[in-house]
Amino acid sequence: MEQNIKQAIAKSGADYTEIRLERALRSQVLFQKDKLENLESSSEVGGIVRVLKDGGWGIAVFNNISQLSDKVSEATRAASLVAAHSDAPVELAEVPPVQETVRADLKNDFRSIPLQEKKELAETYNRIILSHDKRIVSSQVRYTDSFREVRFANSEGTFLTQEIPDVTLLLVAVASDGGANIQQGFESIGEASGFDLVLGREEEARSIAQRAIDLLSAKPVDGGQYTTILDPYLAGVFIHEAFGHFCEADFLFKNERLSKIMTLGTRFGGEMLNVVDDGYMPGLRGNIPYDDEGVARAKTHLITKGVLTSLLHSRETAKKMGVAPTGNARAISYEHEPIVRMTNTYIENGDHTFDEMLSEIDHGIYAIKAYGGQTVFEQFTFSAAYAYEIRNGEVGEMLKDVVLTGNLFETLRSIDMIGNDQQVHGGSGGCGKGGQFPLPVTDGSPHIRIQNVTIGGK
Amino acid sequence: MEGLLKTLREKVEQAEVYHLKTSTVPVAFHSGKLESIKNKAIEGMALRVIDGNRLGFATTTDMKDPSELIAAAIASAAFGEETVFSFPMAADPTHPEVHDRAVTDLSEEEMIAVGERVITKLHDAEPEADVNLTIAKAVETVEIRNTAGCEVEEERTRFSLWVEAGKTREGDIFLLFAGDDTRFQEDLSADTLVDRLIRYLRYGEKIVPAPSKRLPVVFTPYGAITLLLPLIVGFNGKSVHMGISPLKDRIGEKVFDPRFSLTDDGTLSRGPRSSGFDDEGTPTKRTPLVSDGVINGFLYDLRTAALVEATPTGNGYKGGLLGSGGFRTPPSVGVGNVLVSVGDKDENEIIDGIEEGLLVESVLGLGQGNINTGEFSNNVAVAFKIERGKIVGRVKNTMIAGNTYALLKDHLIALSNAAGWAHGTLHTPAIAVDQVNVVGQG
Repeated sequence: MEQNIKQAIAKSGADYTEIRLERALRSQVLFQKDKLENLESSSEVGGIVRVLKDGGWGIAVFNNISQLSDKVSEATRAASLVAAHSDAPVELAEVPPVQETVRADLKNDFRSIPLQEKKELAETYNRIILSHDKRIVSSQVRYTDSFREVRFANSEGTFLTQEIPDVTLLLVAVASDGGANIQQGFESIGEASGFDLVLGREEEARSIAQRAIDLLSAKPVDGGQYTTILDPYLAGVFIHEAFGHFCEADFLFKNERLSKIMTLGTRFGGEMLNVVDDGYMPGLRGNIPYDDEGVARAKTHLITKGVLTSLLHSRETAKKMGVAPTGNARAISYEHEPIVRMTNTYIENGDHTFDEMLSEIDHGIYAIKAYGGQTVFEQFTFSAAYAYEIRNGEVGEMLKDVVLTGNLFETLRSIDMIGNDQQVHGGSGGCGKGGQFPLPVTDGSPHIRIQNVTIGGK
Repeated sequence: MEGLLKTLREKVEQAEVYHLKTSTVPVAFHSGKLESIKNKAIEGMALRVIDGNRLGFATTTDMKDPSELIAAAIASAAFGEETVFSFPMAADPTHPEVHDRAVTDLSEEEMIAVGERVITKLHDAEPEADVNLTIAKAVETVEIRNTAGCEVEEERTRFSLWVEAGKTREGDIFLLFAGDDTRFQEDLSADTLVDRLIRYLRYGEKIVPAPSKRLPVVFTPYGAITLLLPLIVGFNGKSVHMGISPLKDRIGEKVFDPRFSLTDDGTLSRGPRSSGFDDEGTPTKRTPLVSDGVINGFLYDLRTAALVEATPTGNGYKGGLLGSGGFRTPPSVGVGNVLVSVGDKDENEIIDGIEEGLLVESVLGLGQGNINTGEFSNNVAVAFKIERGKIVGRVKNTMIAGNTYALLKDHLIALSNAAGWAHGTLHTPAIAVDQVNVVGQG
């Protein structure tokens, strides 16, 4: 196959040619309530050719990898047509060619675990959830693993083979009081590691079931503005969703006004705020030795002491902005071209303890974990999985229906304390952008405290 | 395919082969400039087997040698779910119009020309707008064969246009989306779409504060998914079977305002989600879900129908609730075309009658919150303030929250007289409801 790839590139009439071929093995176990909804093991082979001709992109995606040369021609023809209609030719920042094979280092390789064992494990967790309390009316337990072998080659002499493992577990408990009050508890974990990650999670299964029960009697939050403490998980989701996406240069680089807002050197937060995207964290889901343009990983300091110090780049955006690529061009699979994405994104530790954060709050909210979040540019919305009221410096009653919303820039400025208890977390889902979901990433943070957060309630 | 079925008959009690071939050509413009053309040819196969009353599933892209696929599906069936259903026998598919020669014949140059026209029109009206768009054509062939004799095949076309227009100012970014997804090229009006974008860009020029109180909200057809998504979940036969739908055991009961009717129709000619059969080979159907406020029925795939002893409604789709397709996922209950009844007033007339309220075109965080109970709680993405019957400007950083079931029962103000397609599946009028909890930031 290596020969075929090299020959197809050699024969290409384009100015730049890259080929990415992928072979993936996946398995999934999905329980919903007492039913096994899916039990599968599947395999897939596919490829993508991307070429530049006279500054236009042409792309071909295919499952039949015996047609490599034809696909290069097809992409080249499309690229010529693009170039003929555009006066904005694309150029790529230079990177050194690399030849390397990166093997996965798995503790307890999930490929050698029989499907039956994966099913029985998920079934065990599901049974714990369902039998926890009579008020647990439903559950979901989803186990997934995938092992991708991705080969990347380009016309500049790069030839890479990377093995990318991924294993995830989602536990959901649904409780009902018999009427309209229905509540959820969940745990969601994922790593670029082996089967060990998902073993021994019985305690989590019990605790999420109990949380769903506790939420049945939780008080709905009163909408309004509160001093809010985010736990490391929710703060990580916040920094990824609300801020991280803003640093992705591909939506900035052709828009002058947006670029101006994101000018390096602009102050976004206090001196204690440091934000990093780091492609090298072995075992974590955002670990990518080389990105999908063959660019080596980087540790990128997005915010240093409150000031914007870098953006995230592909080769194309780096060239436009005259900087070095950061290794953030990623694709979820062979069906997609790489776009600028995050890897492992986190707020660095500050020096406050959780108790210090609490002590000055008369009436506030402690928001924990997230059902999800969404942003459109500077506006964001996150649903906390659950929350507690803070009264006179102490964590009090459990609250439900806590939805946080706000403006990114105002919110970053309003962070007034950063904890010293950072956690970096990979969930079972992933990040979505430009029709590419789910991309394995992680995000993290210590506890953070924010003034004047708008909380939506009923 | 015949050879594969023969092999399967020898090895297992029942089997179903789903074969998908798609050819998609998206043409993408970024910031007003043509950026890329992509040719995407995807072919894959999914196999479900039932053996010893247990269900197994596997997929592959290897069309030449299915032996690995067969082995994987059989291995999965060894410990699979105990099934209560059988793959269906041959049945006549319905015959909605789903194939447009004009789409298959459409050239890349013609698609570029459509994109360039949209950008020119937008820039003529709004020179400062930053425009990204994707225009795509797709041809998909689905073939389903099973050991009970079902043997169906259909070629479907799709033409789509997605436009994103943004205006950026210091401290404010206003971003709008508009898109449409049709089976026939002529059914997609780029002009209508652009006119709507221009209208909303103008509405949004001025930013006004939103109050914090209970207010009437007019959801545009695109924004109506905020109210309708909980219903798509609630009428899903699986939610009913699992006991998490508040509509369970309520057929015949009046649960909504009598003006509100809801129908799932996979047979609608040229409907964006229409097809002759679902992804299990069951002929598609028209299923009334709510008739004049009264619960009429639920949506089922083969398996869920068997579990609750109902008749499958032809709603077994791959790719989840909104049936995003592909060959990879096993089928589950999804919607066809979701149709909401229209009322008798024009959208503008409805707005005219509102003293103070919001017009909501889109929200953030769709599906967040406790969707099973009908609750939504979202930050608005694109919404405008109505004062004394007039749009006075755009609101930002504003939450809207409510319960779909309560709002569509006791607080329906009006349904507009014209329905529009939204999200590739909904055909809905603008929906105005009162008593939505609005929380503004000053």
